[in-house]
Amino acid sequence: MTDYILRRMLQLVPTFLGATLLAFLVIQLAPGDFVTRLELDPTITREAIADLRQEFGLDQPLPVQYAKWLSNIVQGELGLSLMFKTDVWSVIGPRIYNSMVLVVLATLIIYLVAIPIGVYSAVRKYTVPDRAFTVLAFLGLATPNFFFALIMLFLAIRLFDLTDMRILPIGGMTTEFINIGSLTQAAQWLIWPVLVGFLGLAALVWQRARRMHLVPISWRLGLWLLGFSGIFLLFPLLQGPGLPEMLPSTEAPWWARTVNILWHAIPVVIVVATAGMAGLMRVMRGQMLEVLSQDYIRTARSKGLSERVVIYKHALRNAVIPFIAGIGGLLPALIGGAGLVEVVMAWPGITPMLLEAIAAIDVYVVMGLVTVTTFLLILGNLVSDLLLAWVDPRIRYS
Amino acid sequence: MKKLLVLGILALVGVAMAQPKVFRGTEPGRPGGAFRVAAISDPRTFNPFVARETSSTDIIQLFLPWLTGYNPYTQAVEGRLARSWEVRNNGLTVIFRLREGVRWSDGRPLDADDVIFSATVHADRAVNSNARMSFELDGQPIRWTKIDQHTVRADFPKPFAPALIQSWFIAPRHIFEPAYRAGVPQLQALWSLDTPVAQIISGGPFRLEAYVRGERVVLVRNPNHWGVDERGAAVAYLERYTIQIVPNLEAAMARFLAGDTDVFNAANADQVAQVLERIRGGRLAGEIFPNADVTMGTNFIVFNWNNRDANKARLFRQVQFRRAMAHLMDKESMVEVALGGLGKPQWSPISIPARAFFTDDVPKFEFNPRRAAQLLAELGFRTRNRDGWLVNAQGQELRFNLFTNQGNTVRERIAEIFRDEARKIGVRVEYRPIDFNELVRQLTGVAPDGTREFDAILIGLTGGVEPAFARNVWQIDGPLRMWNLGPTGQRPAQVEAFEVLMDNLMRRGATTLDQAQRRQIYVQFQRVVAENLPIIYTVAPAFNPARLARMGGMFPREQINSFVGQFPYIETVFAKN
Repeated sequence: MTDYILRRMLQLVPTFLGATLLAFLVIQLAPGDFVTRLELDPTITREAIADLRQEFGLDQPLPVQYAKWLSNIVQGELGLSLMFKTDVWSVIGPRIYNSMVLVVLATLIIYLVAIPIGVYSAVRKYTVPDRAFTVLAFLGLATPNFFFALIMLFLAIRLFDLTDMRILPIGGMTTEFINIGSLTQAAQWLIWPVLVGFLGLAALVWQRARRMHLVPISWRLGLWLLGFSGIFLLFPLLQGPGLPEMLPSTEAPWWARTVNILWHAIPVVIVVATAGMAGLMRVMRGQMLEVLSQDYIRTARSKGLSERVVIYKHALRNAVIPFIAGIGGLLPALIGGAGLVEVVMAWPGITPMLLEAIAAIDVYVVMGLVTVTTFLLILGNLVSDLLLAWVDPRIRYS
Repeated sequence: MKKLLVLGILALVGVAMAQPKVFRGTEPGRPGGAFRVAAISDPRTFNPFVARETSSTDIIQLFLPWLTGYNPYTQAVEGRLARSWEVRNNGLTVIFRLREGVRWSDGRPLDADDVIFSATVHADRAVNSNARMSFELDGQPIRWTKIDQHTVRADFPKPFAPALIQSWFIAPRHIFEPAYRAGVPQLQALWSLDTPVAQIISGGPFRLEAYVRGERVVLVRNPNHWGVDERGAAVAYLERYTIQIVPNLEAAMARFLAGDTDVFNAANADQVAQVLERIRGGRLAGEIFPNADVTMGTNFIVFNWNNRDANKARLFRQVQFRRAMAHLMDKESMVEVALGGLGKPQWSPISIPARAFFTDDVPKFEFNPRRAAQLLAELGFRTRNRDGWLVNAQGQELRFNLFTNQGNTVRERIAEIFRDEARKIGVRVEYRPIDFNELVRQLTGVAPDGTREFDAILIGLTGGVEPAFARNVWQIDGPLRMWNLGPTGQRPAQVEAFEVLMDNLMRRGATTLDQAQRRQIYVQFQRVVAENLPIIYTVAPAFNPARLARMGGMFPREQINSFVGQFPYIETVFAKN
C-alpha cells in the first residue's frame, strides 16, 4: 500500500508540470498582455509602458517567465499578482475560503436531499412523485445558474416589497451592520421550542434504547441538530444583551457573523444545490434500480426480511459505492468556487476574482489557482482510489 | 452680543484651522449620516504611486489631497490643498501657496515637504507612477522645488496651458520616505490591500475604517480635514462612506432598487425604465435623470492610412472617401437602436461635457447615402459588379474590413448599422468583432516597412476636459494617431497638410495661457477635424444618474454633468435622514 501511495505521488510531478505548462501557454496564447490595456490611454507615454513591461518581467521570453514562476513554486511561493502587487495566495486565499462556505453547504444539501429522493424514486418508479421529481430534476439541470440567481435577486426585492422586511438578502456575503438586538430577541424566542424539542426527542430516544429497540437514524440526527442549536443559542442569550443594538459586521461577535453569512448564503446555496441535485438524483435512482434487480436482493426478500432492511441495508449500501469514489473529486471542486452565481449575487468568492484576473491577463493569479486546483485534483483522485479499496473488498492495489 | 460671541468663536476656530478651503455646496447641509455606493470591482491598492485604475483611485481620492483641480460649477481651476498661485516668468514658473495649519489624520503637519516628496516620487522613472506624465513636457522634466514650509515652485521647460492643473496625489512623506530610501519595491509594497487600514492615514475628507475583500470598503469622516462649508462649519458632513463591491451591473441595480445604495448610474434604456417604474410605483423614494448629459467617452471609426494594400491606403487618404463614409452614418438610428434613444450624435473630437472648449458649430457631413454614392463616383466607383458591389474602372471592388472589440454591445450595434447602410449603396463592409487586445495590437503595431494590418476599426477613447492631455492622439509624432501612425516615436512617412495644421493647433493650444485664445484655437481644431475626418465620430452614450431622495447637497437636473457627476463635492453631500 505504501508503495502504491509513493508511486502515485511520483506520478504527480509530470502531471503537475504538464498541466501548469499547458495552462501557462493557453493564457499566453490570448493576444496582448497585462499592460496592453494601458496602450490606448492618451496620458501614458510609450516609454512608461515599456518600463512597466520590464518591471513585470513581461518583456522576457516565455520559457524564462515559466521557469521563474516554476522556481517560485518549488520554493513554496505562488508568485506576485500583477494586478495587486502582492502575493498571489493573499489574493486568492480569502476568496477560496468564502467560496468554500457555499460549496460545502451546497454539497451537504445535495447529498442529504438527492440520495433519499433517488432511493424513493427507484423504489416507487413510475409513480406520480417519481415523475414529479424527474421533471424538477430536468428543470434544475436546464436552468442556467446565473439566470436562476437573477431570478433569486428579483424574488428578494419582490419579497421585500410585499412584506417590507428583508426576508432574503440582495446579494453579498455580510451586511455592513448587524442588528445584534433582533438576533438576541430571536434567540430568546427560539430557545424554548428548541429546548422542548430536544428534551422530548431525548426522552423518546432514551425510552427506545432502554427497550433495546432500534433508534432511527433521523431521530439521532435530529437530536444532534437540536443539541447544537441549543448550545449555539446560548451565545446570543448570554452575550447579546450586553452588546449595542447595531454593530459593524467586522466588530460583531462570531455567532452574529455566522448567522449573517448563513442568511446571505441561503439564496446562493439554493441556486447551486438545485443544479447539482438534479444530476445526482438521477444517478442515484439508476444505481438503486440496478442494484434492486440483482439476485441477492431477491434472496434477501425471499428470506423474509422486511422491505426497510432490504432497501437500506442490502441495496443502498451497494448503490452508494460510486458516490464514495466521487468524494475525492469534490476536493478540487471545493476551491473551484460556485461559478457565475457568485458574480451575480456579489458573493466574494473565487469566480469573480478569476474572471477579473483572466480579463486583465494577470498570469500569476490564474496560474496560482490552476496550481492549487491541479494539486487538489491529483490528491483527490488518490483519496478516491484509497476510499474505494476500503469500502469495496474486491478492489486491491499491490 | 450673542452674534459677536459666535463670530469670536468662529475667528478662534479660524485661527486654529488656519486656512481652510470653503466648499460651496448646493444647499445648507448638516453633519452625520452615511453615503453608500456600489463599485464594480475591488480596489487593487491604496498606494497612490501604484494605483492605475479608477477602482483604486476613486477610493484614494477620498483620503489623499492634491494641489488643484477643476471647479465643479465652472470647470475653471480651483485650489484644493493649494490656497493660491502665482504665474511668473511668462508662464514658465508657477508658485503654489499651500494652506497652512493642515494636518494628516495622525497629527503630523501636511506641508511643502510632503508635496515635494510626492512630486519626486511620481516623477521617478523607476517608480513609474500613473501620474508621471504630469512631470514631463515633451520629454523635458518639470522641476518642483520647495521655497518655504508652505510654498512650492514648479518650473516648466516651456509655457504649458494646463500648468495650473496639478491633480496628482500627495502622500505623507514621513511614511513613504523611509521605504523610498530602501528601494522602489519597498515603496510599492506600502499601503497594499494587506496593510491594516488603521495604518493608512488621511489628508482628505475621509479616513479608511475597514476593508473586507470582495465586499466593501468603509471610510469614516476625517476630523482633521482642511475644508469648511460657507458658514464655516467643518466638512465633510458625512460620517461614513461605504463602497459596496458588486461585480455585476444587474446586481448593482438591484441594490439601488432595494434602497441599499444611494446613487446609481443607469447604463442603458432598460435600466432607466426599471428605475423609473419603481419610482413611479411609489416603491422607491428617489429620482432619476435620463439623458441628463452624455458621457465623456467617444466612439469613432478610424481608417488605416498605412494599409498594406497600397490601393486601400491611397483610397483612405482621400477626404472624399472619408466624407462619403461619414454620410453613411445614420446617427439617429444609432442613438435609437444602439443606445435605446438615450444619447447624442457626436461631430467633434472634444467630449461634449467639456464645456470650456467644446463647440457644436463644426462642418457636419450628415446621413445622406445619395451624397455618399456621388462622392464615391467622383473617386471612380461608378458601376456595380455582378454581386452588386461598387467597382472602379480597374474592376476593383470597394471593400474593407471593420473591426470592433467584442463584448461592447453598443459598439457592435453601431458597427452593424454602419455596415448595413454602406452595403445598401454597394460598399462591401466586412464587419467582425474581435478581442480588445488584438484590436489594440492592430492599431498600434507598425511593421518595419511602416504599414499596419487593419482596414477600419470602431473604437473609443475615454475623454477628459483638458484637450492638451490628448496630445498623443493628434500631434504628428503622437503614439496614438490611429489613422496615420509612424514607427515608434517617429513621424509617419506621408503627412497631409491638414495634419500639420492639427499638430500646430495642438501645440499652440498646449502653450497658450490666455483662456479666450485657447478656446479659439481648440474651436478651430475641432473644425479642422470635423472637415477632414481623420477620425469619424459616431454617437455618445447618455449619462443617466439616479439617487435616493434621502441624499442632500446634490445638483439639480440642469447642473448635472458627466464630468463632475451628481454632486459638486463629496464634502458637501449630506444625509437628510
